[in-house]
Amino acid sequence: MSLALLFEQLLNGLQLGVTLFLMAAGLTLVFGIMNFINLAHGSLYMVGAYLALAAAQWTGSYLAGVALGLAGTLVVGMVVEVVVARALYERDHLDQVLATFGLILFFNELVAILWGRAALFASVPRFLSGHIELVTGSSYPLYRAVIILVGLLTAAILWYVVTRTRLGMLIRAGASNRTMVAALGVNIRLLYTLVFGFGAALAGLAGLMAGPIYNVQPGMGELILIQVFVVIVIGGIGSIRGAFVGALIVGMVDTLGRVFLRPLLGAMISPTAGDSAGPALASMLIFVLMAVVLSFRPQGLFPPRG
Amino acid sequence: MLEVRGLTKSFGALRACDGIDFDVAEGETHAVIGPNGAGKTTFISQLAGNLRPDAGAIRFAGEDVTHLPAHARARKGFARSFQITSVFHDFTALHNVALAVQAHSGRAGFWRPARSDRALIEPARRLLEEVGLGARADVPAANMSHGEHRQLEVAMALATKPRLLLLDEPMAGMGAEESQRMIELLARLKQAKTLILVEHDMDAVFRLADRISVLVYGRVIATGEPEDIRANEEVRKAYLGEE
Amino acid sequence: MSARLVLWSLVVLVLLALPPFVLYIDQPFYLDLVRRIMILAIAATSLNLILGYGGLVSFGHAAYLSVGAYAVGILGFYGFTSGWLHLAVAVAAAALVAAAIGAVSIRTSGIYFIMITLAFAQMLFYLGISIEEFGGDDGMRIKVTSQFPLVDLANPVVFYYVALVLMLASVYAVFRIVNSRFGMALRAAKSNEARARAIGFSPYPVRLAAFVIAGAMCGLAGALYANHTRYITPDLGSWQQSGDLMFMVILGGMASTAGPVLGTFALLFVEEILKGWTQHWQVFLGPLLVLSVIFFRRGLAGIFSKPDA
Repeated sequence: MSLALLFEQLLNGLQLGVTLFLMAAGLTLVFGIMNFINLAHGSLYMVGAYLALAAAQWTGSYLAGVALGLAGTLVVGMVVEVVVARALYERDHLDQVLATFGLILFFNELVAILWGRAALFASVPRFLSGHIELVTGSSYPLYRAVIILVGLLTAAILWYVVTRTRLGMLIRAGASNRTMVAALGVNIRLLYTLVFGFGAALAGLAGLMAGPIYNVQPGMGELILIQVFVVIVIGGIGSIRGAFVGALIVGMVDTLGRVFLRPLLGAMISPTAGDSAGPALASMLIFVLMAVVLSFRPQGLFPPRG
Repeated sequence: MLEVRGLTKSFGALRACDGIDFDVAEGETHAVIGPNGAGKTTFISQLAGNLRPDAGAIRFAGEDVTHLPAHARARKGFARSFQITSVFHDFTALHNVALAVQAHSGRAGFWRPARSDRALIEPARRLLEEVGLGARADVPAANMSHGEHRQLEVAMALATKPRLLLLDEPMAGMGAEESQRMIELLARLKQAKTLILVEHDMDAVFRLADRISVLVYGRVIATGEPEDIRANEEVRKAYLGEE
Repeated sequence: MSARLVLWSLVVLVLLALPPFVLYIDQPFYLDLVRRIMILAIAATSLNLILGYGGLVSFGHAAYLSVGAYAVGILGFYGFTSGWLHLAVAVAAAALVAAAIGAVSIRTSGIYFIMITLAFAQMLFYLGISIEEFGGDDGMRIKVTSQFPLVDLANPVVFYYVALVLMLASVYAVFRIVNSRFGMALRAAKSNEARARAIGFSPYPVRLAAFVIAGAMCGLAGALYANHTRYITPDLGSWQQSGDLMFMVILGGMASTAGPVLGTFALLFVEEILKGWTQHWQVFLGPLLVLSVIFFRRGLAGIFSKPDA
């Protein structure tokens, strides 16, 4: 195990982490402000990936694809908010879970109708397809480095908006202060639609960036959504800071676990143990982590009202 | 029966309870009065076991219960009544009380129907009669008035055969007639039970209390018989005068 | 009460009469379909115990179907074909897994509980996929059904009646449980948790026990399912399946005895109808489910009778 390999995997962990953060931030924002649990958040991730891919193929330009993909996901998000979410704000979480579950089925099938069930190939654009030199001397894919940068930049912007602007204050005033916010002359319905749309756009961004790395296929959103849930539970539901910390932790643990657990077990116990138990344990690792965190912090690391 | 020494609880920089000493003798009705926001609810929550004190000790019938949670205290005979979320709305009055009887009996069962279990239903009916709800036994709690909910709560509290009953603002939200009925119920109750009565309704307090403690800003500023309290200068300034 | 008994008797009669009728019109497909529905109704009934009566929104309940099914599959793989062994292991394994997951999850509540049960179920799913010996992603074939003396599960009609009897038995079992002292404590904790604590109930052990019972019953359904489909995949424990189970409970009407059975029949019949129209039936089912949640609160059982108090 070389230092270079370790460093490279740490970066991969960071890349997964920021992807998870983009998803978690949107989900936790919607939950914190509207007290709404959106299971279909993964579908928005998928929509972002598909729209960007389709737009890029249609226009011939990657950047146009990105822009249209983001805009499209924003619109889809807002439509979902108006048509479905709005009817469920006053209902209990069970109803919200069930309704958005129905949305997942709908979106997955819609995407299959439009683009088929087979995984699509999204290529890294030419200008992002090189490698960069790391301090350790090895090279790292430029595209992944860009994802990390975009993710961190988005996190920084979000932090700035939430803590330093009036909009952020409104956001932090949250669901518990609807009347106060309304008294300030803010149109609550519009605010909710925009917040939902924004969360959708974040998911779409995560999706379109992830496209070239993972597969673009129906159901791709649900695969990552489970990890996002783990992030939010560990970080504390409703807390953006928790989402960030949780996302980095989960990203690291999952990535490093998948790479190093098998050889580690192989070295410590036996190669066959490593081969058979390694992958299985690696996929369970983040859930074990979640159980551990919950055992001494049932509300997550940064519960919002804590 | 109840001995509280040095009870202290802070929330950050705010000291809600500041070294409170408090006693309740067996058979007495001891009222706790004081302005809102002055630590009364915090004090009650710690007594009942819903909140852990930072420091201090609570002894109930000679036993240290400081760190015992609410349901364990209820099992020992120290029950709190009249929290904000009151009864089981999906159940009838009878079954509300039957549940309390069941909880106290400590006996479980996975198969025999509980709703026809005479060991639960008979005591429940008797308790409902005692609080004056005998005729309303089969009414779903959701359809009962606020005053009836309060009567129901007394019945449920009695089902646990408490040795000490903590009544948390039993008069709250009641109209004049309902208040009278509740005072009469409590007057009957106090003859057989030890009560801690937390109340704002001074009429009820002075009619029912054997002793009164006045809690202001986390401290007990006076303890004594109703007449002494009424005459106490400090109390009048801090509390009674404002009413 | 008697009106409900009459309705149940009718339902039972119809189900009893189905196989001969189906064979008469030579449509064995319906035998399979209704048998599958009844097996899943057992799973839905078990979920109703904790979801409908306990208020525990367990989004990972299908995991126990999977555990039960794989118990049968794995035992068969190693040459153990005794049906009693299959059942015992399926139920015990599911109960154990439920105890483990429940012990951690039930300490949380609300939205945390939903996400955590989902996450743990998914963990089992990944575990199932990664074990290559038992088929991994592709699943495994059940070559021999569980062997019982006198009863041959390979016979479709016999198996149908076995499933019917077990379904009725589960419904009855849940009925007795929720009306027992234990059930009352569970329902009290759902109705008003603070109040339940105040009178001396401790919700955690009651809920955990209910969770384990529900898991065990679902494991039984899983064992039956393995015998029914003769080919099990990890998808049986997927969250899509869990979501389906929840809909079966909700659509039928939570906290009612007949609810899960009605809901399972309703959902699966709708699915079959939609499947007949198009291979993309989920694009219609999805919005239907959304609409049912938004507009159709009390579920089907609410139409026929009032839910138990």
